[in-house]
This record gives sequence, C-alpha cells and structure tokens, in this order.
Amino acid sequence: MWKFSKYVVICSVITIFPVLTYGQNCNLAISGFVKDVSTNIPISYANIFIKELRKGVVTDSLGFFNLEPICAEEYHIVASHIGCETQELYLNLSRDTAITVFLDQNSQLLNEVAIIGQGGKVTTQENQSLNSESIAQISDRNLATMLENISGVSAIKNGSGIAKPVVHGLYGNRLTILNNGIAQSGQQWGGDHSPEIDPLVANRITVIKGVGALEYQGSSLGSVILVEPKKIDREPHLHGESRYFFETNGLGNGLNIELKQYSKLFAWRVVGTLKKSGDNRTTKYFLRNTGNQEANIALQLEKSWNKKWVSDLYFSSFNAEFGVLRGSHIGNLTDLEEALNRDVPFFTQENFSYSISSPYQKVNHHLLKFHTKYRISEKQWVDITYAAQYNLRKEFDVRRSGGSDIPALSLNQISNFLEIKYQNYLPRNWELKSGIQMNRVDNTNLPETGILPLIPDYIAYEYGVFGIMSKSFERTTIEFGGRYDFENRNVAAISISIPREIIRFENEYDNMSAMGGINHEFGKGWKATYNIGYAARNPEVNELYSNGLHQGVSGIEEGDPNLTKENSIKNTLSIKGNVKNRLFFEGLFYHQKIDNYIFLNPQDEIRLTIRGAFPVFKYQQTDVRLVGFDLATIYMATERLSLIVKYSYLNGYDLSNQLPLVYMPSNNLSATLNYQIPKLGKFTNVGFQINSRYVFEQKNLLPSQDFVAPPESYNLVSLKVSAERQLRKLRLNMFVRAENLLNETFRDYLNRQRYFADDLGFNMIVGINISF
Amino acid sequence: MLFITSCKKDEPEDPIIPNEEEVITTLNFTLTPDGGGTPVLLTFQDLDGDGGDAPTITGGILDANAVYTGSLELLNELESPAGDISEEVQEEAEEHQFFFQTTVSGLNTAYNDMDANGNPIGLSTIVTTNEVSSGTITVTLRHLPNKDASGVSTGDITNAGGETDIEVTFDVEVQ
Repeated sequence: MWKFSKYVVICSVITIFPVLTYGQNCNLAISGFVKDVSTNIPISYANIFIKELRKGVVTDSLGFFNLEPICAEEYHIVASHIGCETQELYLNLSRDTAITVFLDQNSQLLNEVAIIGQGGKVTTQENQSLNSESIAQISDRNLATMLENISGVSAIKNGSGIAKPVVHGLYGNRLTILNNGIAQSGQQWGGDHSPEIDPLVANRITVIKGVGALEYQGSSLGSVILVEPKKIDREPHLHGESRYFFETNGLGNGLNIELKQYSKLFAWRVVGTLKKSGDNRTTKYFLRNTGNQEANIALQLEKSWNKKWVSDLYFSSFNAEFGVLRGSHIGNLTDLEEALNRDVPFFTQENFSYSISSPYQKVNHHLLKFHTKYRISEKQWVDITYAAQYNLRKEFDVRRSGGSDIPALSLNQISNFLEIKYQNYLPRNWELKSGIQMNRVDNTNLPETGILPLIPDYIAYEYGVFGIMSKSFERTTIEFGGRYDFENRNVAAISISIPREIIRFENEYDNMSAMGGINHEFGKGWKATYNIGYAARNPEVNELYSNGLHQGVSGIEEGDPNLTKENSIKNTLSIKGNVKNRLFFEGLFYHQKIDNYIFLNPQDEIRLTIRGAFPVFKYQQTDVRLVGFDLATIYMATERLSLIVKYSYLNGYDLSNQLPLVYMPSNNLSATLNYQIPKLGKFTNVGFQINSRYVFEQKNLLPSQDFVAPPESYNLVSLKVSAERQLRKLRLNMFVRAENLLNETFRDYLNRQRYFADDLGFNMIVGINISF
Repeated sequence: MLFITSCKKDEPEDPIIPNEEEVITTLNFTLTPDGGGTPVLLTFQDLDGDGGDAPTITGGILDANAVYTGSLELLNELESPAGDISEEVQEEAEEHQFFFQTTVSGLNTAYNDMDANGNPIGLSTIVTTNEVSSGTITVTLRHLPNKDASGVSTGDITNAGGETDIEVTFDVEVQ
C-alpha cells in the first residue's frame, strides 16, 4: 500500500461524526479511520496524537485507530504521516467521537494536488506541488531551487543565490508567478532577476504545467507558479511554528517564525524570515562575494463579517541583498576569454567572508492585497481583489571614483491591480468561472545611476476578461475557456544618439487566448488528460527598446521597436497509471509551438567601443518548437521501501533558422530510494532517503551559439534523514541533508556563473522545526 | 480612481537624463619626440558612448630610432566642458594600470610614472622605436588589477586580472 511521498500529501479533508452516547465524563473515546480520499483505501501506520494527554496511537492495517478512555476536555489532535502535511484538529470533546482523516493517495504519489481555488474545484491542467512539510525540509533554498525537485522544472541561476524557475523551457516573462493570487510584478525580464518572494511564507507552492493560464493576469504562455499561504485554521488558541537551519557551505543560517490565532472577531497570522549566508565554496575554492541576506515579513488577517461576507488582508515585504561572484564582473570580451581559461576565478580569496560588496543586487518587494468574498448563495459567489505592489531593484557594479556605492541600475515599479471574479455551480455539474481584471504598472528609472538606463520608463494599462466552463461526468471532466486582453503602454526612452533626448512610444496590443481540456478515468487508477491552449505574449520593453552594452554578458544588445506579439499553441497529454497499487506511473508529454518567439540573435557584427570589440545581439523573432516529456514512476517494494525514478526531456528548436534554441534546460534523470519507519523509539515518521541526480550535457546546441561549449554531464548524490518527535505540546521535526555528498566538481549549463567558476561542492544542512 | 481614464493621457513624465560622468568617450595618446618636433597624436573618439555610432580612430606615423614621451589623456566629451577622466585615474592610481601591447617590431613602451606603492600607472610613458616597421599599438586600461602579480609591473598584462575599462588599437607606422 502506498504510504510515502517525497513532496506532497494533502491531508486536508477531515470529517467529524459525533456519536451520541451517555458515557461517563472520563470514559470517552476518540476513534476513526485514516483513508484515501479518492479510493477510500485505508492508510496504515499513520500517527494520531493527543497533545494534552501526550498520548498517541498508530493506525492498524485497516487504517483504524482508537484512543480511550479520555475525559471530556478540549483537545488538540495531531494526525501525521510521513511526507504528509501534518494536520492539527481542535476538538471540544463531550461525547464519544469518530473521526475520519482523508489523505489523497494520488497526490502522495506523484505530487499532484487539485488546485484548491475559491471553490476547491479541480482543473484538467497538470499541476504538482510542494506542501508546507516539504518546504520546511528544504527551508535553506530559494523559490526556484525548491521547485527544481519537480520534474520538468529547472532553474536559471547566477551563482546559487540568484535563481529563476524554468518550466518546460520557459521562464521570465513567459512564466507567470502568482504570489497569493497576485501576478508578481517586477523586473521579470532579467535573466538574473530572481522572483522577489519568500517561499517560507507559503504553505504550498504549485507548478501548473499548463497550456494557458486563462484565469490569471500576466504574460504566461502556459505554465504558472502559485505561491500560496493557506487559510488560517479555525482554532481558538495561539499556535506557531519556528524553523531554523544551518548549512555548512556558505555558513548559512535561517530563522523563520510563524504565529497564528483565530478568534470570532478575526483571525491573524504573521510570518517572518531572516536568512544570511556568506561565500559559497566549490570543491576547491571559495566563491568570493556570493553571500546573500534576506529579511522578510508577511501578515495575514481574515475576517468573517457574516455568513455571506468574508474578507482578508495580506501584506508581505521581501528585502534581500544578493552578492554576485566578484570574478564574474568583466569589462569586455578579452576579459571574458581570459576568465573562461582560468582554473580559479580572479579575486578568489583564501578566506571565507560574509561580506557583500559590488557587484551585488539589492531588492525590495512589498505586496498589499485586500480580498473580499460575497456569497450570493451556496452555489455562487463573487470575489473582489485589490492589490498594490512596490518593487525596487538596485544593482551595484564595480565602478571608478567611489561609484561602487551608486547603483548602476535603479528601477522602481508600482502596480495596482483590481479583479472581480464570479463563480457559479450550474445545474448538471456545470461550473462557471469568470472575471475581469485591470492593472496599471508604472515603471521608473531613478536618475541616480549616472548611466543610460537599460530599459525605459513606462506606464502600462492592462485589461483582461475571462470565462471558463467545466463539466464533470461520472468519469470524465471537460473544461474550456477564453480570455481577452488589452494593453496600452506609454514609453519614454532616452536616445542613444547625441544629444540625448526623450523619445516617446505608444504600444497597443489586444490578444485572444483559449484553452480546452478533457480528463478521463479509466478505472483501477488509470487516468488520461489532454489539454490544448492558445496564448499570446506582448513584447516587453527590454525587447523593444533596450539598446547598448550589456557588460555582464559581454555583448551589445539592441531592441527592435517593431517586434510583434508571440503566439503559442501548446498541447499536453498526461497518462497516469497504477499497477496493483505497487507500481505507479505518470507521463506528461508536451508540444508547444511559438510563432514570433522573441530571442537575442547573435549578429555577424562586431562593434568597436572604447572598451574593445563586442559582439552584437539583436532581439529578433522566429518560429520555435518545444517538445518534451516528464516521466515519473514509483515502485513500492515493501510498505517501508520505495523507489522513485524521474526523467525529464526537452528539445527546443528554432524552426525558421533551423538551429537549436539556446538556454534550454538539460535533460535529467533522478532516482530516489526511500526507507521509512513509522515509529522508532521516541521518534515517529523516521525517513531515510538517498538520491542520485544525473544531469545530461546539453548537446542540442551548436558551438557558434555560445562563448564556450556547455558543461559536461554530472551526477550528484544527496542524502536525507528526517524524524519527528512529539514533546507534550511541542512537535519537533528534524532533518539532516547532505548535498553533493561525493564533492563532485561540476558546472551547470543554466548557471551563468559557469563561465567563471565551478558550482557548489559538498553541503550539509541541519534543520529543526518546532510547532506548538 | 486609478482606472478612470481622464482626458489627458497617462504617460510617464520626461525621464531625467542621467549625468553620465563616468563614460570615457575619448582617448588621446600624444607622443612627443625627445628633443623637439611635432607631436604624434593617436586618438580614439566615440562621442555617443558604448554602442550607437562607430568610433573614429586615428593612427600615426613615428620616426625610426627615436625616443618619444607618451602621455595619455582620457576625456568624457558627453559632458560640457569635457570631463577629465585621466585625473580620476591619477587620483585612484593604485587601482588602475595601462598596458601597451604592440605588433610593431622594435617598438618599446616603458612606464614613466608610479603610484604611491611604487607601481606603474602608464599615464606617462617613454616610447622608443627601432627599425622601419608597421603594425598596431593596443592601449588597455585595467581597473583593480593585481599589480603585484608576476610581470605586471613591467607591463605584462597576462596575470593582471581586473576589469578592462579601455581597450583601443591604433595603426602605427615607423618610417
């Protein structure tokens, strides 16, 4: 029977059936079952614990448990299962009570969860998540590197601190990231601009490997990443959680504290994170100036006015500084060629240091969201959301005459978003989701830099309207929808010619998007889903108007004001299977064709500047095709031992120029062996895990497409041991992870730092999470 | 209120044109013959900064078997009056060094100045020529080089490191 999952389990559905008896006050019982939500198969070896009594039981082979005798009191009951999000249940016990805790076995298997939207409805689009339990055990990572464990997801990096998620080969402006339902607004166009989101504030991070994100505002050509805090439990006592980690590589420390409470008046939750790390180390040397630090806070308030009105307020503030490898700061192509040929980067120091100096990035992002929900009836409701975001990015370079203290790039972005959504459960299992969205973005360069800005100032208005219909039959779900977007953008740029003058542009775009999907269950755990979607993306300001030397990549980049929008058609087919509840299989195949795909095309031109000669890159358009698949299988050898194998393949091809596409993630193969013990002495849910991840060399690239050939294949081995322990009211969750256990020297194709230095060597992370 | 379109278009205000005081538009390498004569002026000028229009480069003709005093001048002609970047380099002499590489046979460039640590800068040089020849001289300015690395103080760029702020090449004829 299936019992373990590396990432996700939702144990969210709990039902309580009071059983009427006339028992004595101290002769009561709590009993029940732990079961799978879709198949009703009982789950054995789940832990049930009553905090107040320090008393616990493990479910038997029928998934049954019984706790008695118990006095009539108020209790907090913890239901836990390895890899599963621990559920806490508040009970005011006055009579014998039966509880059923449902787990979702499908989710456990392949990290799939239903997107719990406003209505808790399932979409036909493929999605995979990390729950709070798995997030807590990789709390040392950032958003993108956390998601790397999901097949089909990679990260584009600049060192280890700066990382952007890549889903099915698309990233930046082609991938929408939603922070608590709001499209992250900022300088997403930059390949070295990581999303300004603290993943530790979230309870769940979901990747929708979709075909068209019609419901969400943003420029996604398919996939979406959702970072979501969960609703505050209706639990009258103060609860909290504290997480701490230490890592040996970079001597990183992180502390995350969460407090929450529910009262009839309102519910609140506050989360804060502090992180600091210093120079990372490869197998041979320290990476100078690769430390980073973060201080983040989030506040969540929920208020139920009456049965019809519910409101919530969310504020989050992300504040970070990311060091960039000192030896990766270069002046021209000669410097780059010299750096490429060095064993150890320039400026490498013997000693470790926490200090961050130029080059580095300083980023602040604040989000304020107000949401209110009005229930017209049981079956229909309206959601109104307003959100304001303030994004501030400063990038510091090594400059002359004290200029290192003045940012070389200083951008300020304010956006205001308003959304009204209407949802209705119609007769005959039809469901309607619809909405209108408006967004205003004001992007301003601060003149303090003393440098011509990389992208111009602009004010953009975006309007969108969408409708999605879905219908559930007995074994089949169908879904289809459409979306219309209009964008008006007024741009004020500074000319590259002299005398410098202001040039104004006005862009207008209107786009239609559409999607359809069908999902069919064949029975015995076999399921197939097919989706097709059409989406468009408007050219971004950097693609239209950037003009000048991009020193970091040693090239002159020229935008083209005549670029048109990209149009994409994506198909996905997913097949899930289950052989005798022992072997589970999931395959997701996708094909995406993007017409007018915008990319930086190297030109046959070398331009002379006072810094030397630079190659010229122009933003141009072409038709491309992305084809790939993500495979995952799980074999349950015994109840305690399981093997998970995942493989991701992607091929990107430029159809017009008949060339491979650059910056496509390498194919990779990962195998994980898990061994779990439900109870070991005083510890519960003890798990051992060994993982081997093989990343293939990116061979789908011509030598002329890069300064240096892509790095060779590499294999990384990692280990993890985790355990839980209940100490009266405190619940302890501990883990030790060893990454790059064999201290292998490697470089990764998607890490820009690979031109200059090796990737990280051995790292050991120790973490402890305490909840009460 | 944010979404109500007023009669006036919602446009960004005129961006403030930054004061590009760091840009180096011009390099003048003046070679003055010892014992008098007309100085030879090698210039590189790119008035709109990096990118944009192509620079103007002027090479020069030197006499064989002669000794010249070389003097470098860096200007930012985007500013009015032009900013003197060579002054900045002089002020931060420990953090800067010029290198001179040539394909002209017999041509030699020796440093004629030093920073507070006794290491060369290269704003002032002694250039000597030998036989009749032709080729190029490449002038490189490195910011934050390792001046103590092997060969750097004698003008060998190989181990210098740092970032290249300037790298310009002049055609030179010795006759």
